Amino acid sequence: MDKRMLKRTRLFISIVLLIFVLLSARLAYLQIIQHEHYWARAETNRMRILPITAPRGEVFDQQGEQLATNRPGFTVSMVDLGTGYEEETVSRLGELLEMEEEEIMEKIRSQYYRRYLPVRLKNDVDEEVVAQIAEHRLDLPGVLIEAQPIREYVSEETAAHIIGYLGDSPMEEWIVERWQEEGYEYQIGDLVGQKGLELAWEPYLRGEDGGVQVEVNVTGQAIREYERVDPQPGSDIYLTIDLSFQKKVENILKEAVARQLEEEGNLYAGEAAAVVLEPDSGKVLALASIPTYDPNTFRQDYRSLEEDPRRPLNNKAIADHYPVGSSFKMVTAVAAMEAGGVGRNNTITCRGTLTRYGATKSCYRGTVHGTLGIVDAITRSCNIFFYEMGLKVGIDSLAHYSREFGFGSPVGLTDIFGEKSGIVASRDYKEQVYNESWYPAETMDAAIGQSFHSFTPLQMANYAAMIVNGGIHYRPYLVEKVVDSEGNVEMMAEPEVLHHMDVNSATWDVVREGMVKAARPGGTAGHLADLPVDIAGKTGTVQVVGTEGSIPNHSIFVAYAPVDEPEVALVVFIKHGGTGGETAAPVAGEILMEYFGLDMEGLENETNDINSAND
Amino acid sequence: MDKRLLKNFDYQLLIIALILCFYGLVVISSATQGLHVSDTFAYVRRQAIWVAVGMGGLLLAASIDYINYYRWSWYLYSCNIIFLVLVLFVGRDAGGSFRWINLGFFDFQPSELAKLIVIISLARLLVDLQNRLPSLIRSLPLLLLFIIPPILLIFMQPDLGTALVFIVLYFAMLFMAGVPLVNLILMACAGLATIPLFWSRLLDYQKMRLLVFLNPELDPLSYGYQLSQSMIAIGSGGVGGKGLFEGTQAHLQFLPEQHTDFIFSVLGEELGFLGAVLLLSLYFLLIYRILKIGSFSKDRFGALLCLGVAALIAFQVMVNIGMSLGIMPVTGLPLPFMSYGGSAMIVNMASLGVVLSVGMRRFKIQF
Repeated sequence: MDKRMLKRTRLFISIVLLIFVLLSARLAYLQIIQHEHYWARAETNRMRILPITAPRGEVFDQQGEQLATNRPGFTVSMVDLGTGYEEETVSRLGELLEMEEEEIMEKIRSQYYRRYLPVRLKNDVDEEVVAQIAEHRLDLPGVLIEAQPIREYVSEETAAHIIGYLGDSPMEEWIVERWQEEGYEYQIGDLVGQKGLELAWEPYLRGEDGGVQVEVNVTGQAIREYERVDPQPGSDIYLTIDLSFQKKVENILKEAVARQLEEEGNLYAGEAAAVVLEPDSGKVLALASIPTYDPNTFRQDYRSLEEDPRRPLNNKAIADHYPVGSSFKMVTAVAAMEAGGVGRNNTITCRGTLTRYGATKSCYRGTVHGTLGIVDAITRSCNIFFYEMGLKVGIDSLAHYSREFGFGSPVGLTDIFGEKSGIVASRDYKEQVYNESWYPAETMDAAIGQSFHSFTPLQMANYAAMIVNGGIHYRPYLVEKVVDSEGNVEMMAEPEVLHHMDVNSATWDVVREGMVKAARPGGTAGHLADLPVDIAGKTGTVQVVGTEGSIPNHSIFVAYAPVDEPEVALVVFIKHGGTGGETAAPVAGEILMEYFGLDMEGLENETNDINSAND
Repeated sequence: MDKRLLKNFDYQLLIIALILCFYGLVVISSATQGLHVSDTFAYVRRQAIWVAVGMGGLLLAASIDYINYYRWSWYLYSCNIIFLVLVLFVGRDAGGSFRWINLGFFDFQPSELAKLIVIISLARLLVDLQNRLPSLIRSLPLLLLFIIPPILLIFMQPDLGTALVFIVLYFAMLFMAGVPLVNLILMACAGLATIPLFWSRLLDYQKMRLLVFLNPELDPLSYGYQLSQSMIAIGSGGVGGKGLFEGTQAHLQFLPEQHTDFIFSVLGEELGFLGAVLLLSLYFLLIYRILKIGSFSKDRFGALLCLGVAALIAFQVMVNIGMSLGIMPVTGLPLPFMSYGGSAMIVNMASLGVVLSVGMRRFKIQF
């Protein structure tokens, strides 16, 4: 070692020695001079941290109407006072809270690493029980009653699938782990969104819990407060939907389903969905799934909801896909004109049946349409015409245009989770799933929306919107804006274009004309012409074969209105509801009347007389 | 083996280290009572295994002629950087930071290994640059190029406490290698000037962590609470302590990290002033022995290795104990040889092995 290094090493060891002496001095100060003070504090150390739950952000509709809020409630917790959790206290508390002792012990154990925090045993405890606990507080050492905001869904059953619900943090571990990975903290007993907006918007809604450092007395009551950190309330979410319109849509669907059940004696009915979009933005104006449920009483009703074969918890508008029948025909029409060179004036003669590749296929109920062009074929939903078109362009082209319209993959709604992809009939699909190659005759089925095609109602609504706006696929969205607790706008939704189809405007004109005429006298939904709203649409009737033969059809209608300057695009889907013209189309009419603020009274009788012989 | 090698083996150093490890095991066994629900001695047993593995590492590191560390230093340095990059991608996420790589049987913490590797490779760099050291311009680019990658990578985990260890270790070794004081001060000032550059690149929660690190008052429920509980624990221990397993603060688990970062608080409460001063004396003896070995080293490289290891241990002891005593910010640095944790134990023992290797080969001619 050279001299300089040796000198510096000596200096270094001297510094270390000095620091160690300082540390020892500090030790002596704490352990000898201040010993009595700290000894006393340790003896009476009942410092605890009581968390203060942040109020969760509220949910409003576009008008500022409240859907979800918080009401004051009480949570019963237990805190270790230094003597462990007494068996007697646990068993008494179990009786009062109607909980098993083992359940309480389990919760205490699960928070072993954070013993200085109270263990939350039960949320939203009845006021009577709270009063009883308060009365017996001396016999229940360590038991705390904390005020905690309780979630309340003001809109009850309405928009339940959009808002979703909450659960205790250990229930769905994957959710909590996911948020913890992003740096959010959760304790046992914290509530976390499990479905809908509550799940997808958890980081905005949750806020930041606060806490207070307190000294507790021998029964666990706070007697002195030290540090306090106020909770930061969650941000409020404003939706694109209008609550009263959403409610009307749900009611109209419920009534339609009830009519099927009661008047028609159709015991298969009971499920329905409708999606209303703004075609030039992707804004969701209504998204309904029937049957629905009340998220306020969801826990109590859980068993019956789970056992209900109509699956009320399932959001049928996005998470179920169904065959859509003739409402698919505009895809075939676009393919025929874009890829098959078919023009507006090309005609085909429909003789009611068509035999190709050894298969004989017919129009719905054997109707003979005679000679007709593409506009008429949409208007009257002629199967023969579209069989020919399908064969002309082939299955690959049909599959291509289906995907261009957003079928076969999620539409892109990310404000709530769970959107399904649906199925586009294609060679690949058949090979992958059935390990069989494609038969040309199947192309005919695919061309009229049969075969493997299966789409979600949201995909159908987006399809209607794309027909209106000339092939622009907007990302559908439900959240208009997010406003933090201080009133600052944290997020403002902007329409987002995900895809733009390359299709001639003449093609769109033909498709739209067909849809406009379909809702005029002579069309498959001709009765809609009696309404004061100018509607364009396309019916779909899906024949369903059950194990014991034929059962009621699925009824579907895609539409937009008003024809001249469309404001909305929508789909109505009624499972086992009958033909598209008879059931879904009038329902869509009712929804549109509601949207444009028109009166349905007086029109009822006329609409019932309409005879929809066609699909 | 050459008899002179064994003759020069510093048994005193080994004995002090083993006493420290044993002391650690005793305090951990008290600190972890009830922490593991079904197996009371789960933590102690695991720590004992790590002491044994660490002992193996020590003997291995001592048996290798330290001139090899000089030869391997750039390979070691490269491996080190790879590990530190890897941990950012495959690391186990613990509350938003990525510090551990899960090896199945053991969570490996690359930043611990990095401490030893940086000492070895920095010692070599300082030996290679010896003649250039007095000139700031001729030495600075390489010196900076050397230290920035590991610090930046650890900073990104983010593990600010450990990043700080590297900064201090770096300056300590530069100082003892004889870099002029003026140069060191200039470098420190330049370093401070880059802080705003980093600040703007941080995420909000990382900024918050840094702010809390500088001012625990910002998060009184967590850090302030831990500090005051730690001081109550130590202060209530008095001269003789409350006795092992008798600490009320410890057994109520007021301290969330009592077997790792706050192990000293448990010791202070249960073994009192005497136990704490005994620990400080052991550390001082350890550091003194390391420096002694360094001063007898036959070359600069060996001396710098010893100085680096001594500085590393001294700084960590000072920061950890200072934190428990409420006079340093909460950094989450472990107490060497005492805190529960495998990576740190193995690396600390291996560091002593390197020191012993220097001591065993202090004679000039070996035949």
